[in-house]
Amino acid sequence: MLVSKSKGTSLHRSSERSSLLRFLALYITLVALLLLLLGMLHYKSQKELTFSNQRSILATYANEQYKAIKELHEEYPQNLTYPRNTKFRSAIYDLSGVKIFSLMKLNPKHFGRDMYRINDSIHFLKPLDENYYLGAKYLFIEVDEDFTWKDDVIKDIIIYGTLTLLVLAIFGFFFVSIFLRPMRNSITLLDDFIKDTTHELNTPISAILANIEMMDKDAMGEKNEKKLARINIAAKTVSHLYQDLTYLTLSHNRKSKDEWVDLKQLIQDRVEYFAILAGSKKITFTLDLKDSALFIDAVKIARVVDNLISNAIKYNKRHGTIFITLRKQHLIVRDTGIGIESNEVNEIFERYTRFNSSEGGFGIGLNIVRSIINEYSLQIEVESVLNQGTTIRINFLKGTIDA
Amino acid sequence: MHKKTVLLILLTFTLGASANVYQSRCVPCHKYQPATLEKMFMLYLKTHSVELSFKLSLKEFLKKPTEEKSLIGNKFIERFSVKGASDLNDTQLDEAIDTYWDLYNPKDNLK
Repeated sequence: MLVSKSKGTSLHRSSERSSLLRFLALYITLVALLLLLLGMLHYKSQKELTFSNQRSILATYANEQYKAIKELHEEYPQNLTYPRNTKFRSAIYDLSGVKIFSLMKLNPKHFGRDMYRINDSIHFLKPLDENYYLGAKYLFIEVDEDFTWKDDVIKDIIIYGTLTLLVLAIFGFFFVSIFLRPMRNSITLLDDFIKDTTHELNTPISAILANIEMMDKDAMGEKNEKKLARINIAAKTVSHLYQDLTYLTLSHNRKSKDEWVDLKQLIQDRVEYFAILAGSKKITFTLDLKDSALFIDAVKIARVVDNLISNAIKYNKRHGTIFITLRKQHLIVRDTGIGIESNEVNEIFERYTRFNSSEGGFGIGLNIVRSIINEYSLQIEVESVLNQGTTIRINFLKGTIDA
Repeated sequence: MHKKTVLLILLTFTLGASANVYQSRCVPCHKYQPATLEKMFMLYLKTHSVELSFKLSLKEFLKKPTEEKSLIGNKFIERFSVKGASDLNDTQLDEAIDTYWDLYNPKDNLK
């Protein structure tokens, strides 16, 4: 199968980038909420300002209407036409709040407040204290509320809010970069340490493994053979760790060499390689392998298979089983080990995270697996049940063709 | 059916009678006075916004008119003096005032 590469493997800065993004997201959300609150306060203050600006206008209207009512009172009953004005609507009520005459769309809501909003209108009240012309004690003026200010205010809030958010986001980015510098330094220090250490491990490990292979097992006794097997297991464990650490620290400088890889053959080889290690915990392999090929870097797919098998051994119970199923479209590695809580499944791919602190290792294996999976746009699924085992499935879906 | 007819006749008679009290006892006098009924109505209305207050104060004045109770100007009283007490009984006064209110109140007449 042919798989396409989507992005380069980048492990060193992933946690830093993740922290940066999380912090920025939180920071921007909080700033946006604050700006939203300020925007709402500004909107409210503008609304009240516009409302209070209406007061003097409405007072003028009320005086005009008062004069007209006074004139009508003198002419009544010869003139029975209530005075009208195109700029406003009005109404008069007697001392007990009974309507005498009204041109208003809405009935008054308050007889004790001089000005108030009612639906989309404003009511202004002028009490007539000295003389009840036409029997009126209360003169109401009604106008439609002016909403022309609304669009301008909303536009201002959006423009200035966005600009402020942008500026604060840029500041936030720089601040976060400064805050994360100690973390970045720690990671760099750790990476440098691992890089130097692994470099020094290579020669002795290779020498040990080569010499174990060359030793004449027939010439040694049963006890010595067992001891040699233990040395072999220990050396292979260190070798596996060395491979991961080398991949982690040096893979950036290495260009991928994609080729057709026979997965069935690869898995059989790696199972054989880990057989002694599995044997030390009385773990048996059950293989169900069909032919499948993948167009991928051989070193990288070997790291994936090695880490899946290595983890299945590491976290398996004694006398457990590892089931490996290979099909044209997927690979499944299932163990009968300790498993993990379902809510921790997403965390297992994080670098330096381990299933169980009692087991050895740096917690980098599955992180490497995920980075390679992502690089080749493969798909990984994990299912785990506590004390029953873990199943990891890799689907060769995107960009695959028959080999 | 017979009962309804009697009630209708009684109602017509009562309304006619009250209108008659106002027409027969108020209009004739005020017709020739400078204090016309229209002017007096607006004067009372300007002072008493509410219907009940309007009617009560007018009734009280008509029963026992005094200079203090009068709403008309002092010069008018100096010239024409305060009117005499009405000889109408309470019911007749109420009827006449109701007619007077119905005839001029702005609530029913403004347009």
